[in-house]
Amino acid sequence: MSFARRLLMVAALTFVLAGCDDMMDDLAPSGEDRRPAVVLGSVGPQVGQIAPDFTLDDTLYTPHTLSTELTSARAVVLYFTMWCPICDTHANHMRQSIVPDFPDVRFFLVDYVSGSVPLSRSNQVASGYTDFTVLVPTSDSFTRLYQATMGTAVVIDANGQIVRMNEDFLDGNKLRATLEALP
Amino acid sequence: MALLHFCRRIVCLFGGLCAGILLPLANLQAASCCGGGSSSSLIMPKFSRAMVSLSADREDYNGFWDSQGDYRPDPEDSDLNQYRLNLGYAHRLGARWQGSVILPYVWNNNEYTGLTSNTQGLGDTTLNLWYETFDNVTCVWKVRQWADLKPAVYLGGSLTVPTGTSRFDDVANSFDITGRGFYRLDANLLVDKTIYPWNATLLLSYGKYLERDVNRDYGSYVEPTRRRLGDRRLATLSAGYTYFLESMDTLTFTLAFSHLQEDDGRIDGRPDPSTRMEKNTLAGTVAWSTMDRDWVFKGTLSHAVPRNDWGENFPVTNVLSLEVNHVLR
Repeated sequence: MSFARRLLMVAALTFVLAGCDDMMDDLAPSGEDRRPAVVLGSVGPQVGQIAPDFTLDDTLYTPHTLSTELTSARAVVLYFTMWCPICDTHANHMRQSIVPDFPDVRFFLVDYVSGSVPLSRSNQVASGYTDFTVLVPTSDSFTRLYQATMGTAVVIDANGQIVRMNEDFLDGNKLRATLEALP
Repeated sequence: MALLHFCRRIVCLFGGLCAGILLPLANLQAASCCGGGSSSSLIMPKFSRAMVSLSADREDYNGFWDSQGDYRPDPEDSDLNQYRLNLGYAHRLGARWQGSVILPYVWNNNEYTGLTSNTQGLGDTTLNLWYETFDNVTCVWKVRQWADLKPAVYLGGSLTVPTGTSRFDDVANSFDITGRGFYRLDANLLVDKTIYPWNATLLLSYGKYLERDVNRDYGSYVEPTRRRLGDRRLATLSAGYTYFLESMDTLTFTLAFSHLQEDDGRIDGRPDPSTRMEKNTLAGTVAWSTMDRDWVFKGTLSHAVPRNDWGENFPVTNVLSLEVNHVLR
């Protein structure tokens, strides 16, 4: 069997296996906007929806309720962290380059992996984020409620609790632009 | 004595890059947070027809370097591991040309505070093409003239194909991924010199990721963007000593130092510092090969030092690799 034929067989096998695991998104990426359509004003985590209200303890056992926080702030930013290198890069960038420019916005880290206040506090201290308020969901229902995962940044404005942004922090530019565009 | 001399000639004849190597071109494995199973580059000795390679890796995670280069331990109750099985095949395409393909299969086994992830799948596939700038083997026993110092120089190109599962596929978090999601082209230079029983190798590699569309991130559809990772540089310097057994089988001990870094990525043309990374690694390898070099068995321990300024924005990991190469003459 020629080398070229062997190579083709390997390539074909690779592509078949890739297709089986829904990996064609990487082999042939799409730029199509597939975000789900939302009914404006309905309750949900998508941009344009009313943010689901919640109450969560922080790592010092102080409860925080979204609707209450919004009465004294222009917006609330939730950043979902798992204390990993990327989360650290994002959160550090947010701390240094974004938080100082928006003193009337409430920034929260959401530790969605620790599962308990003591463990979350330990991770917060070890990671050097005692200057942030860290919210601690004790089940994954909160993460599901906001359809969030590692690195997700959610912006909720005070004007009717509309979700302005819900996606990966990336380079922080979209978060900054979203906060600058707040009413 | 005559037998020993004959055996040495055989060793040199079958040597070249003397036992065939699975280069650690991509010690950027990283299931946790930053990437996934990637593979390496396979080079076979001169005058061989083909080579088959099978290797198994166990990579365990031991904290990370933050964006300032400070070492941070993982959170309590974390146990992060990635296992890889790499199948490689190299084939001679011409007197000076060889090509190879490496397919990794990846298992992620992670406990991270409250999160458990056990996933598996193909990693990113690597296709390689190498050009040998020499016609005769360059390993020597004694330096008698300047020409004996001439090294074996290989020029190569690699294409990484994103056959793994990346953050842009339907995954819940970074622990589920087995690949990085981007095509990458690498230009490689390998310089190897053997003056028995010593040898030294320098590998330099420059890689460029191809820009791609992104409309999904960690399972959720997002506003479409064009993204790419930053340019990648790898330098590996290694030195080895070969000990000849009575049977003329050999044991080779090699120490290597690798430096790997990637620049800022790009999102719609803007810099994205969150994907910037740097990693330094020390590795030790023990290889046993038969006298005719048809079979080579290797064990490698690659260690990233968990101290400040040994890396940046990347997990600290140790990798144990066991590898078998079979050369077809």
